[in-house]
Order: sequence, then structure tokens, then C-alpha cells
Amino acid sequence: MSTSAPALRMSGISKSFPGIRALTSVGLEVAAGEVHAIVGENGAGKSTLMKILAGVYQPDEGTIELQGEAVRIAGPIDARKRGIGMVYQELNLVPDLSVAENITLGAPPSRFGFVDRKALRARAAAVLDELGAKVHPDDLVGSLPVSQQQLVEIAKAYASSPRIIVLDEPTSSLSENEAQALFRVVERMKAAGIAIIYISHRLREVIELADQVTVLRDGRLVETRSAEGITAADMIRLMVGRDLTDVFPKTEVPIGDVVLEVRDLSRKGEFDGIDLDVRAGEIVGLAGIVGAGRTEVARAIFGLDRADRGVVRVNGDPVHAHQPRQGVDAGIAYVPEDRKRDGLIPQLTVKENITLASLGEVSTAGWIRGRAERRVATDKATELGVSPPVIDRRVDTYSGGNQQKVVFAKWLATKPAVLILDEPTRGVDVGAKADIHSIIGQLAAQGTAILMISSELPEVLAVSDRIYVLHEGRVSAELPRGASEQDVMRAATGEVAA
Amino acid sequence: MSAPTVSTDRVVKQGFLARYGTQFAMPAGILVLLVVGTVLSDRFLSVGNLTNVLINMSIVGIIVVGMTFVFVTRGMADLSVPATLAVGGLLVLMLDDVIGTWPAALIGLAVATFAGLVNGLLIGYAGLNPVITTLASGTIVLGIAQAFVGGVIVYGEDPAAKDFLTGRLFDVVPMIVLIFAVVAVLGHLVLSRTVFGRWTYAVGGNPHATEASAVPVRRVKAGAFVLTAALAGFAGVLLGISLQAARPGIGAGYEFDAITAVVVGGVSLLGGSGSIPRAIGGLLFVQLLTNILTLQGVPSEPQGMVKGALIAGAVALDVYLRRRGGRE
Repeated sequence: MSTSAPALRMSGISKSFPGIRALTSVGLEVAAGEVHAIVGENGAGKSTLMKILAGVYQPDEGTIELQGEAVRIAGPIDARKRGIGMVYQELNLVPDLSVAENITLGAPPSRFGFVDRKALRARAAAVLDELGAKVHPDDLVGSLPVSQQQLVEIAKAYASSPRIIVLDEPTSSLSENEAQALFRVVERMKAAGIAIIYISHRLREVIELADQVTVLRDGRLVETRSAEGITAADMIRLMVGRDLTDVFPKTEVPIGDVVLEVRDLSRKGEFDGIDLDVRAGEIVGLAGIVGAGRTEVARAIFGLDRADRGVVRVNGDPVHAHQPRQGVDAGIAYVPEDRKRDGLIPQLTVKENITLASLGEVSTAGWIRGRAERRVATDKATELGVSPPVIDRRVDTYSGGNQQKVVFAKWLATKPAVLILDEPTRGVDVGAKADIHSIIGQLAAQGTAILMISSELPEVLAVSDRIYVLHEGRVSAELPRGASEQDVMRAATGEVAA
Repeated sequence: MSAPTVSTDRVVKQGFLARYGTQFAMPAGILVLLVVGTVLSDRFLSVGNLTNVLINMSIVGIIVVGMTFVFVTRGMADLSVPATLAVGGLLVLMLDDVIGTWPAALIGLAVATFAGLVNGLLIGYAGLNPVITTLASGTIVLGIAQAFVGGVIVYGEDPAAKDFLTGRLFDVVPMIVLIFAVVAVLGHLVLSRTVFGRWTYAVGGNPHATEASAVPVRRVKAGAFVLTAALAGFAGVLLGISLQAARPGIGAGYEFDAITAVVVGGVSLLGGSGSIPRAIGGLLFVQLLTNILTLQGVPSEPQGMVKGALIAGAVALDVYLRRRGGRE
């Protein structure tokens, strides 16, 4: 590198959220005309770092320099003014406008206060041409396939003449061919001297595209090195090679017969041909990176989404779960990933939330038996250690860990044979996490078949008797207890097919 | 850990004003109106006048019970009330000389309920916007009613039924007020004590989590509109019988009065909270205010302005309290 300052230098960046230290003194340097990949497990701090760069969050500590000049990025608009272009995983396009209109949305060329349509179209066409993107400027964005929308999104960021572009998982929903078209666009931007930050779980892409690689783990910088000669195995080792700091006690439980049996479960665009079994007393982990289809599989088993094909059996009886009611009646319970959206009714009390899925048990001819309901709610709240166990208090006055216990309580009140847990310890503090692990252990000891999704590898490895790894909607490996983090990551990133 | 405890305390403290503020505001407001009314007019605080207030609020009060369910499910509002009310009123008077008043009343009720079922299917199952759907269905139903009766007034043939409804139990309690009270108590019990009532709150509070809890969300949403249409039809039947005359426009304004009452009662448009007693508190407040203005000789046009301002004020207060409550 020459003596000139890099396009971006972030140093000593730290950021905490209540109860979580998301980033600890992380540094990142990206030169103009360089593709710099950032890799790491879910929750390693990649998104937080990028949101700080985009002005969405302010760092607690640390400095940001653009072209050698220290700056404070006040917000997303300020970030764009300073030449930082963000392309997020979720597309931010207006489907009813044309490609050209979307690309120039930030600052449409105008004459006398009216949009100059001719200039607008020419500008967009020029941008697309520069990028070598084969998209027609007059097409409606909503009519394009996702891959082309992705290119439009990049063109939109490029149109504001940025010095830095962040691509967050740009290929997560693209096929191999489509990804190649995207890589060509990245190469063009690189040739134009733009500093490119590239976030991806697909390690092969990183090897193919990147000049530099930065590995983050648990909110800390592990290593920044040249991508030359790097292998997927190197990256996986850096991503997961950590000491176990949390202790996950595992109680040994006799394993019984198969309770949950899933065969050839498929849903178009989400997952394909999923086979899995969970036995009584067994805790089975479902691992994989974000977007591998874990939550989708869980929702389909429970009946929140409809599978296109395949069978689900509970204790040998087929379940035709097109609605959660049928799943619940068959003895399946699902603690969802997104507690706020799918778990709780914030305006209701702890009691009302706990009994919501099992009101039939505490009512006669549609009338709720007040005393029976209170008894169930009190029992479950006490059993799960909701503290304080004031069942008439609104649930949204409780902390995240207690709220999660209320969701657990709701599902335990349905006396399930199969319990599906989707990220059961996400966003809860360390104490509540240990409580939840011990609850999971007790349920297994009582003979419940448990299928657990978790993005935290140490958790999956410590708690599970067996692990299925999903990669791009398929089971890529079935691993026994004692498998290593490397084994799981290799299967999760598609490096090996088991 | 100390951090989560602190944040919990903060939320509770913020919620304090939101909860208790709204709980005591309405009784206090009604009390203030009673005092103001008494000071302004010596005719206000009399059994006769206050009984009249109750009689005047009974018909719309029956609709308020249904409208509360709609609000609590986050169904916004049912604008087809004028049509379903007219259906009840017209049918009972058209058929009373053919099959008798009470069977005719049942038919009026059934047809109104059927209109509510259509609303419920479109809103709950097809997911259409409730305001637009009920506006459209109300216009259609009213159009059919007008085509049937030709825009003229239909007269009843049963003065006995009229005497029964406009009479008083033991010469004290007006029959219509008694009917309203029974509907209100039943509605309150259903909303607060039954599975359907609990589901109603849950659906309005968080439809996603409710669906994930194996609750038939669409059926519950539809149910609120079926109930409102049935109650509006019932109100129409009562109105038709007690007036012994009805025209297609008989229900105009009832939807507005019911919405006013529910909103002033502090039942949130955002769903998930509120109760029948609160909505009826709002109705009582509006009716007392109207009564005071009328006794003061204020013409009806400025009264409309006051009611409109009340709605805007109540909605603003709801939004403000929700923010103070630390949510959304």
C-alpha cells in the first residue's frame, strides 16, 4: 500500500447493548479498489459493525476515518452524503416504479422542479452500463427476478457515486449463475476504485472475490489477512476456534422410541426433502447458517406454513398440520424465534399469555373457569421460575428472559409430546439462559422429544444428543454427539456433503 | 444482573400513568359533567332528565357493545351499521302484519346478521380493509333496502309492541334501558369471561403470536363483525317497533355515535385493550355533554363540532398515553 490514507479506517470500535457486548475494540481498514470480506458466525458482530458504518448505531468507543479524516457519522443520510453506500440483504426497492426510477430515487434529475424523465432514464442506463448489469431501465422492479432486483439495488447505491460500498450477504438468495453475474458487477466497481466490504457466509465466494479477509468472532477481531492462498478450512477454524466460556450442563436421559418423524418434507423455495427423527427424551439440534431453512422447516412441521410435500408423524400417526391448531392437537409445540412477533401478546397479562394455547383445558362450554386458569398459570409460572410470579401483571413489563419463560410456559401448558425450540435463548441474559437450559434438560428427562434450532454453535453442541445440519434447504449432515464446531460449520457452509 | 432489572423498573414506571390515568379519567370526567350540568341548569339533575339521557343512549348503546368487539380485534370500525340497523327496522315493520311482530323481528335480525357474515368473511378470511369493506357492504345493503321500500316510510301495525317497548317495568325502569343493560352485561361477560372474548383481545394485541398459539384468528375477526351487525339489526328492530315507522335512512349517524363513544371511552383503535364498561362510560360522557349543551340551548351544528373535537382529542390522548407507556 502507498502512503495515502485508506478509504476507510475504523479503529477500536466497541458497542454494547443492554446485557450484550456486541463489539469489543474492533478495527477495520479498507483501501480504495479493494474487496474486503468480513466473515464470522451468526452473532459475531458483522452486522453491528456495518450498522455503525452506516450511521444506524453510534459506537460507544472508537474512531472512524474516511480518506484519513476523522468523522462522526450522524445517521444513514449522513453516511450516504459521505460516500458510503449500503446494500442490505433485504431489498429496499419500490416495486411499482421502473428500474430507472429506483436507481435515481435518491436524487432524480429535474428541470424546473419537475422530474426530467429523459435525463433520468439516461442516467440510469449509464449506471447500469458502467456496471455491466444486464437490466432494462424501463422494466418495473416488481416484475424482475430477485437476482436482477439485487443488481438494481447495487446500481442504486452506485448511482450516488460512493467511495465505499457494503454488500451484506448479496448472494444469499441467488443461484450459482446469478451470483456470477453479481461478481462481474463487483469486479467493475472494484476497477472503478471503490472500496468494497463484502459480507458472506459462502466461503468459496470469499476466496474467489476478496483481496483481504477479516474474521470476527464473539464481537472481537480474530484476524485480518490477505485472501491469497486462504482456504475455507482456515476461515472455519478462525471463525469457531474458541474456548467454551459458557457452561451448558447436559443431563443424561434414557432415549425412547421415535416420537417425531419427518419424511421428505418440502416447501418450494425454502427447503427440500427434509428427513428427520426425534426420539422421546432426545434433544436434537438443527444447525445451519441464517437462511438455511431451519425456521421454515420448524414452522411447516408445526403447521404455521404449509408444506408442499412430505409427511410428519407424531407417535406414528400422520399429522396434517395446515394450521397450528392441528399441530397442537397432535402434541407439537413451537417456541418461535421471534418472541415479539410470534410469541407474546404484549397487552395481556402473564396469566392470559400462558393459557392462550390451552384455553380449552380451563374452560367449560366456552366460559373460562377463572380458578382453574389461575391455577394452571401459577403452576407453570412457578415451575419455570418467572420472577416475580405475579400472573396478573402485563407481560410486557417483564425482562426478555422472563418473557421467554412465559412463552415456554404457554407451550408446556399444552402438554406437548414434541417441543420445537427456535433460538430459545436469543436475547436473554446469562442467568435466564442457564435456567432455560435446565428447563430443556428437565423436559427431555420427562420424555419430551425436543428439536432445537440455535445459531449458537457451542449451545447446539453442548445440549444436543444429535445434530442435523441444514445447508440451502437440505440436510447436509447428521452428526452424533461429540461432533466438533468445525464439523458443523463445514456442513453448514456446504463445504462437505455428508 | 442489574441492567435488565433497571430497565424493567423503568417500563413499569412509565406504564403507571398509562394504566391508572386512563382508568380514572372517565369516571372523573363524568363526575365533572354532572357537577357542571347541575350548576348550569336546574333542570339537569332530575330523575326525569337523567332517565331521558339513559333512554336516548340505549339504542346506540346496543351498537356500542358490538363496536367495542370490532375495536378490540383491531378491526378498526364497522361503517355498515346504518344499513344493518335499517334492515332490522324496515323488515320488522314490513312483515309485522304478515307474520306478527316477533317473528318479523327475528327475520330482521337474521338478515342483518347475514350481512355481518359477509363482512366477516371479507374482512376476516379475505383480509380486506374493514373500513372500506363495511363502507361498501353498507352502501350495497342500503341500496337493496331502498329498492325494496322505494324510499318511502314504512309504518307498523302493532301499537301493543310499541307500548311494551316504550313502557316501563314496574312503572320505573324504561323497558328499552333494561334491554340495553342486559345486552351490555352479556357483552361484557362474553368479552371478559369467555374463550372467544380472550381470543378477541389476543387477536387485536398481536395477530401473529395469536395465530402461532393455535387460535382461529380469522374466525375471531369475522365474529366481531357478525356480532356488530346482529346487534345493529337488533337495535333497528327495537327502533322500528318503538317508532312504528321506519325509512331506509333511519340508521344514519348511529355508526358515528357508536365510534365516538368507543373512542372517547379510551378503547384503542390499535386493538388489544379496552372493555365494554369503558366504552359505555364514553357513551355516557358524550350523552351527558350533549344533554347539557341542549339544555343550554346550543343548536345541533355546534354540538357536532364538539363531538368531532372529542374524537380527535381522545385519539390523540390514546396515542400519547401509549407512547408514555413505552410501547410502539
